[in-house]
Amino acid sequence: MVDTGDRARDEFFSEAQEIVEGLGRDLLALDEAVRANRIDPDLINDVFRAVHTLKGLAGLFGATRMATLSHELEELLDNLRLGRIDVSPVVLDMLFRSIELYGRILQVEKDGNDQPIPEVDELLRELHRGFGQREQQPLAAEYDLDPGLLAVLTEYEEHRLRTNIQSGLILYRIRVHFQLATIDQALDELKVTAKPFGEIITYLPTGTGADADSIELDILMASRSSVEELRRALSETGAEVEEIPRRAGTGGGGGGGGDTGAFEGGGLSSRPAMAPAGPISPRSSDSGSLSAPPDSATGARKKRGELSSIRSVAQTVRVDINKLDRLMNTVGELALVRSSLGAIVERLRATPAEREMSLELHRLQRTFERHLAAIQQGILEVRMVPLGQVFDKLARVVRQISRDADKIVNLVITGAETEVDKLIVEELSDPLMHMMRNAIDHGIETRAEREAVGKPAVGTIALNAFQKGNHVVIEIEDDGRGIDATRLLDVALRRGLITQDEARTTSYREALTLIFLPGVSTKSDVSEISGRGVGMDVVKTNIGRLGGVIDVNSEVGIGTKMTVTLPITLAIISALIVRVADRLFAIPLANVQEAVGLDEHTVKRLDGREMITLRNQTLQLCYLTRLFGLDEEEELSARLAGLLGGTRSLGGMRAGITGSRKLDRSSLGLSPGSKRKYIVVTAVGAKRLGLVVSALIGQQDVVIKTFGPSLASVRGFAGATELGDQRIALVIDAPALIFEVLSGSDRARPEPRGVHG
Amino acid sequence: MAADLAKRRARGGVIKRNVHAQSGPRREYLAFLLAGETYAAPVKEIREIVKPPPLTPVPRAPDSTMGIVSVRGQLVTVIDLRRRLRLAESQASRRTRILLVEAPWGEQLGLYVDEVQQVYRLSDAEVEPAATALGGDVASYIAGIARPMQQVSTEGGGGEQPPVIVLLDLQAILAS
Repeated sequence: MVDTGDRARDEFFSEAQEIVEGLGRDLLALDEAVRANRIDPDLINDVFRAVHTLKGLAGLFGATRMATLSHELEELLDNLRLGRIDVSPVVLDMLFRSIELYGRILQVEKDGNDQPIPEVDELLRELHRGFGQREQQPLAAEYDLDPGLLAVLTEYEEHRLRTNIQSGLILYRIRVHFQLATIDQALDELKVTAKPFGEIITYLPTGTGADADSIELDILMASRSSVEELRRALSETGAEVEEIPRRAGTGGGGGGGGDTGAFEGGGLSSRPAMAPAGPISPRSSDSGSLSAPPDSATGARKKRGELSSIRSVAQTVRVDINKLDRLMNTVGELALVRSSLGAIVERLRATPAEREMSLELHRLQRTFERHLAAIQQGILEVRMVPLGQVFDKLARVVRQISRDADKIVNLVITGAETEVDKLIVEELSDPLMHMMRNAIDHGIETRAEREAVGKPAVGTIALNAFQKGNHVVIEIEDDGRGIDATRLLDVALRRGLITQDEARTTSYREALTLIFLPGVSTKSDVSEISGRGVGMDVVKTNIGRLGGVIDVNSEVGIGTKMTVTLPITLAIISALIVRVADRLFAIPLANVQEAVGLDEHTVKRLDGREMITLRNQTLQLCYLTRLFGLDEEEELSARLAGLLGGTRSLGGMRAGITGSRKLDRSSLGLSPGSKRKYIVVTAVGAKRLGLVVSALIGQQDVVIKTFGPSLASVRGFAGATELGDQRIALVIDAPALIFEVLSGSDRARPEPRGVHG
Repeated sequence: MAADLAKRRARGGVIKRNVHAQSGPRREYLAFLLAGETYAAPVKEIREIVKPPPLTPVPRAPDSTMGIVSVRGQLVTVIDLRRRLRLAESQASRRTRILLVEAPWGEQLGLYVDEVQQVYRLSDAEVEPAATALGGDVASYIAGIARPMQQVSTEGGGGEQPPVIVLLDLQAILAS
């Protein structure tokens, strides 16, 4: 029911967003290239094109602010392209700023409010002021280049020629013959082949030697390679390679030097032909020593872009994630249908008369099941995007922060291609950003400090991602000063977050996890001393909301490593279905270590907490009936009143369990008919908590649906899932419960602790 | 199971026909029972009327949240209007319904009512602004008091009409 205007607007936003993201990547590459002093003109061209496209888009959708910004940027980039100004840090900064501003503009436009963004106006003013343009020197006359050719070079080509000559490259004339029918393709192939060896500056038809179906082109190329190398490289294209000599007097040999002659076909504009080259210079023999890393570039790509058709290159569609959610929803419904079908098949099977039909139905059901699984898998795959999306943003942040903090940081990224559910990627950017900021602000020492302890002046932050089973692991590791666990303990003790006893018995690793306590974060002295702490509780909460866990490891003076482990997708998880009083709950299997029967006699009470000893380790228990305020008697009467979903058909429930890899009965402690309670051992990192439940029902793959905003304040649940028959089980947010119970905020404490916030 | 309003209307007999045309625009209100009293809310704010699916209570949820239900695969939080309005609770019956409405923030919410009665078309003249008539903290939830002039009987010869209908300001209730 979205009208087409809205649809087009959405398209506009996602397209603009995509371009801005691409722009960010290009700028990072450019930034790196500038530092390495190897600027690829293609990169600048790409940036220019992106801004140009944004300008067009903005104009189309009346986003004036974006159009104005793009226009000014385009000007700046054009000057860069043409070598009128240098890619200086100032210019780069402006470009990076403009990316952030594009993001802001898009947000404001999307929200539909017209609030001013002063930063944009400021940047516009700066851009408008312009940069001192460099005086262009006349093109060096040291090469034997035909003035006719020089006259037809575009300003850009002239700039590239000049740049190449200035960097001491050799100029070559490459003569090729192409069939008109395949010229586009042949030219592209040639460019690809030539690219590693140098830069094609321009190409022109010679106007001679060609019959009606073919065309002869002279290509002007700059390269470091020797003429032999080039000849070898281009031998398959049938190109003749000649070096254009330096100051060899006026070129000998005629060959259509002044021929102009309009050239029809081939899509090339008519131009006077390039002068033929003189004799091959003997320089080529010693130029082998020059064949350092080949300069990579083809300046002619832009032309190609203009010639190409309007058909889009990529075979992809943009999809709104909500649409996928709805699809997933439908698939979830189908899964329920499948379960009901299964039940019918079972019933039919019990009737001897219907045996044949039941078999047939059973086969159909199996097929249905298979296809359904395929659809589910397919949708999941569509939702997956590479983590690179968020890593690119992080790289920009690193650049920004390291500038602000005046620390030089080298960011090493691996595994950017690792794929995660789109929703997770979105939710990840803030927590990762935060950790990255902490790593630079507090982890990496100043240059002087680093040098004093004999570390390299440039700090390193490694951002690694990899898949591990059904999870994705993201590590942020810095080689900074590390976290001082003793000081952390000290502060936690002073703040009353832990007791003296706890402080004494806390292991080093446990002490590090104190940085995730909110109480610690608010203390500025901690963040100064230890580094992390600022908002790490929030980071933890957000990661936890995604079903992930975060772990910290650090050594003083060596560095810190934060490890985030996340499920690959939020959409479907394996869960253990349990009964508490007479309600069903789902506990994500990712958080479940094991399930064991509870022997009430072994429960010890200590300081108001219930503990048992499980495999020689103390395990704190949490009675879910109590925590959730459930009472079996009350529940029963309410159910009788017909209000609750309850356990009306636990048998049917069991039939609905279709988990592909069921835990074996003993590990789940499934013992039918027993009235014993069970303990589900949940764990987050090193912390464990035993959730006491009334019964274990079984394992099931469930589609988690998050609560609406009206229930956002309810803690302890990750959402809810449908079990079939319109019944809903709440999904327990085990990490949140563990945190809540173990930090003691579930009970009144003698002294106020203020941990929960 | 989800009888939408259009269908209800099509069945006829539910809408109060105003025989003597009155001046001024008329608005449609859906009347429903809460703890024995008749309340009403603008029809255009009500997306759908559904029979209550099995309701799953959410521990630790706000007091007036009854729980969540699934409506065609979508989770909907159900709010107990009676509790919001500080009314007595009543036994669930076969007539209880959930009204689906959209909250100002875009979320679809369910409002639990004891029984859906009928649609009234009311002119402004029939509505008395409530602000002056009522005090107390639920006053802000009430948009007005209606006294329908036409008493054409409907459905099963019920001649007894509530003399006073409390018109609710759903947005105010949801926002609280």
